[in-house]
Amino acid sequence: MQGGYEILKCLIVPIVSFSVSFFGIRGVMRKTRSLGIVGADVHKKDKPLIPEMGGIGVLMGLSVSVVTASALFPDRTLDLVSFLTTALIAGLIGAYDDLRTLNPKVKPFLTLFASLPILVLHTYDPRMVLPIVGRTRLTIIYPLMIPIAIAVTSNAVNMMDPFNGTMSGTCSIMSFVLLISAVLLSRNEAVLISSALLAALLALYFFNRYPAKTFSGDVGTLSIGAALGALAIMGRLEIIAAVAFMPQIMNAFYGLSSIGRLYERRDVSRPIRILHDGRVAASDDEKAPITLARMILARGPLTERGAVRIFFILSGISGVLALVTMYLLMVTP
Amino acid sequence: MIRRVADFVLILIFVWSCMLLGLWVIDALIVPLNLPFSALMSNVAKAVFSVLLVLFWFWLWRKIVRRVFWSALKRG
Repeated sequence: MQGGYEILKCLIVPIVSFSVSFFGIRGVMRKTRSLGIVGADVHKKDKPLIPEMGGIGVLMGLSVSVVTASALFPDRTLDLVSFLTTALIAGLIGAYDDLRTLNPKVKPFLTLFASLPILVLHTYDPRMVLPIVGRTRLTIIYPLMIPIAIAVTSNAVNMMDPFNGTMSGTCSIMSFVLLISAVLLSRNEAVLISSALLAALLALYFFNRYPAKTFSGDVGTLSIGAALGALAIMGRLEIIAAVAFMPQIMNAFYGLSSIGRLYERRDVSRPIRILHDGRVAASDDEKAPITLARMILARGPLTERGAVRIFFILSGISGVLALVTMYLLMVTP
Repeated sequence: MIRRVADFVLILIFVWSCMLLGLWVIDALIVPLNLPFSALMSNVAKAVFSVLLVLFWFWLWRKIVRRVFWSALKRG
């Protein structure tokens, strides 16, 4: 009976997260459209104007669900507050970037500060467990790595939003993998956080999937990336998350290594071009960054919907490898 | 479709297995090394070896990606 009551309490958190995010995103869409905060959907032939900053709805859903979770599980409040404030700080940086545009070097630097709640509230465990190696004791290095981890995850998600629904869909798959891992490894705080995040992401995906009715904006991408990073750190799921996050890491690594510096999408040649029949194709411009989308399209043009499907397959395969990594963690003495 | 996914999956498996192999090399070969220096210098040297290994991994990864991308673009 007690177990059933606990499960019911756990289910309330994602339900609240999904409901608030869903209606929040709808409200934000109406507001941003009326304020003229819209962006062109550049991979459509007619380039329709789509409301931006739908990610605010995700932050609304996460905020209300975290407050609900704190009321239901008071002993987890510190972890939940740390998670939410990390996402909110990254969201604020993203909102500023959406409205005023930040320098491509300043943005990653600022996202380092989103990790402050985790460091100040000490909601991490420096005894990271690695597959094959086992438990480590990284009492000095681990806290130094946290700001870098949050900056990497938030900016990697920010860079991985080429087509309708790719960011929200791939991050949903990653959250689902982390939820499974958290359940199997009995990381209770991570179960709560990942279920809330997954529910908010599914609400965003509903509006952001092809053909998109809203864009998440940097407020969404940076906060979701920071939230995933915080979840990995606080749930002690670092290596599993790193493997599940491989498509985002690869996309960022390919882009940065081919350009050789931090860049803003507007400042470099477009990696994708649109054909007369509306399909998307890889650019053959040698100066364009080699992004994951460009790699997928290298073998020939695809419809946008087809390209998005491949992103999901890749994310799913990374998720399976992440679960294999989790198994290796479980059998490592 | 299968070829597009295969390009990525091969790189993904390479990166993942290199990560596991790298962890094993650092844990089983580099950390237990007995170097003829003081403890501090010995630890610094081990850290440098590990960083060099990671940098080599990144370099190899970048090379493979470039080769796979440009050959796929030519064939596509």
